[in-house]
Amino acid sequence: MIYRKRGVVARWENGTLIRVTESGVAMEEGEYFECRPESSSRRVVESSRVLEVARALRDLPTERLIVTHGVAEHECEGRTWRDETDRIHLSLVNGRLRALVDSTAGRLDDIFTIADALARAEQTERDAPTRLRLAANVTAALLPHLAGRAPSNVRVVQTAGGVDGYGHDIVNAADHWPNFYRPSYRVRPVRMPFNLRLECDQTEIDRDRPIAVALLAAIDDLALRVLVIDGARVYPTRVNVTAISAVAKEREWYPYGAGVFGAEVML
Amino acid sequence: MTRFAHAVREELWSRGRLIESRLSHGEAFEDEHGIVATDTRDDALAAAAERELDRLRAVMPGGFTVRLVAESSTEGTTGTITVRTDTLSLVTDPAHIREDVDLLHRSAASRSAGFQPAGPPASSRPVPLLWLNGSASVLLHELLGHPLEHGRESPRLPPWLHVDIPLSMRRATFRDVPLLRMQHVRATQTSAPFELPEERIEITLIDSGMYDPLNDTIMLRVAASSIGAFTIQEPRTSVAFIGAHGDPLRYPGVICSREGQELVVGSSAPVLLTELR
Repeated sequence: MIYRKRGVVARWENGTLIRVTESGVAMEEGEYFECRPESSSRRVVESSRVLEVARALRDLPTERLIVTHGVAEHECEGRTWRDETDRIHLSLVNGRLRALVDSTAGRLDDIFTIADALARAEQTERDAPTRLRLAANVTAALLPHLAGRAPSNVRVVQTAGGVDGYGHDIVNAADHWPNFYRPSYRVRPVRMPFNLRLECDQTEIDRDRPIAVALLAAIDDLALRVLVIDGARVYPTRVNVTAISAVAKEREWYPYGAGVFGAEVML
Repeated sequence: MTRFAHAVREELWSRGRLIESRLSHGEAFEDEHGIVATDTRDDALAAAAERELDRLRAVMPGGFTVRLVAESSTEGTTGTITVRTDTLSLVTDPAHIREDVDLLHRSAASRSAGFQPAGPPASSRPVPLLWLNGSASVLLHELLGHPLEHGRESPRLPPWLHVDIPLSMRRATFRDVPLLRMQHVRATQTSAPFELPEERIEITLIDSGMYDPLNDTIMLRVAASSIGAFTIQEPRTSVAFIGAHGDPLRYPGVICSREGQELVVGSSAPVLLTELR
């Protein structure tokens, strides 16, 4: 199995713009994997998109800001395809609180909501409200952890669309993930769910409930440390996701794992 | 304008079978507008990396999962060998591989013998920690090194303990932005005798560590100790240095990851006794 990739990427990383051009080939034969660069010429790397996003976010209290936009052409066993990456990875800080965000240039509204909430946040942790909503971006981060262990009234499923790391169609699936993720030609593809979404028969969300708008720590098992907007109050809290009572119909794509569709959820 | 170029050869072996082989090369030019990087090949660097890989392969131990990484760059040539069992790993080089593999065998045997069950976090045990085998350098890496990279003030050290941690701009690959990183951690001691406490935890291998600049805390996952594996998570101010003895011992392996860039940081320290307060 031979795979080839040619790509360019522009990245804004904490104040430095880096533009990369590269191409490479990967070979798999049984359990053996080999990769190396192939001749690549310097190509124009468009950086205006990442600079625009970096400018839009420049006044936020960021501890880390990485904005990436890339274009890649792929070839595997006669199949060819092209894709674009658009990713923002940032952490925002206020006092001893750190909000972790993975998003896209199309979801800057999430980031401004989080920044505004964080600026108003109390530093002291409070008990979690009895009925809490999770914003779509928080659910998106949680989804890969829910695969295979979701409460019985919800289903975690892969959404059909696009192609995987071998150029095969990504199909609808609920388990035994049939597709392979290849974020770089330098790594062996791994079986992984693409474009996960959460389904539940109950889709009505009570918008008056407090809402968790951001993660304040990496997810540990199914335990979340989140920033909650509760009326005029904003505070950190901890919650274990043991039950989900509703999942909204509206979904947004976020760059966690091989991609997820986050939706607002009511616990 | 500055130029960085490198070539890297890497192989992954599993119990004597080659399962992964990689070549990577490229160069990066940096000026006031940023960095432009391509995978351009420098033949001399690629040949030097290949020679270094041959040297690593010649001393590679069998019976383990082994990763060989040979890098030749505009800043020099390095070779590292990561040796892994099911639960433990260390990073070594051709000059030290025999003694380090012996240590791995001993540590793995004591774990599989089961007489050292994993304990609760050390912070719940008011027991002194005895850092053997140069492992104190990992504590100092998190306690002093990363805060230094973030421009944080160091806690006051006892006059008998000297720690050398030079910083420089380093990068893992031509695709990366150089960051201010540790070059090495070398601790020495002068006249700091201590009475060996009867009750103590002896630490030999560290799995990973972390410094959180926001909360000024450190976290260390101890992989092998007299109580098995455990985690230390403490404010920096809670570590107290009680005493030390001997010359610095080379710790087998600190691969430091920051912003996704993994770099080897040479590390050595004498046997050190600390307490958590």
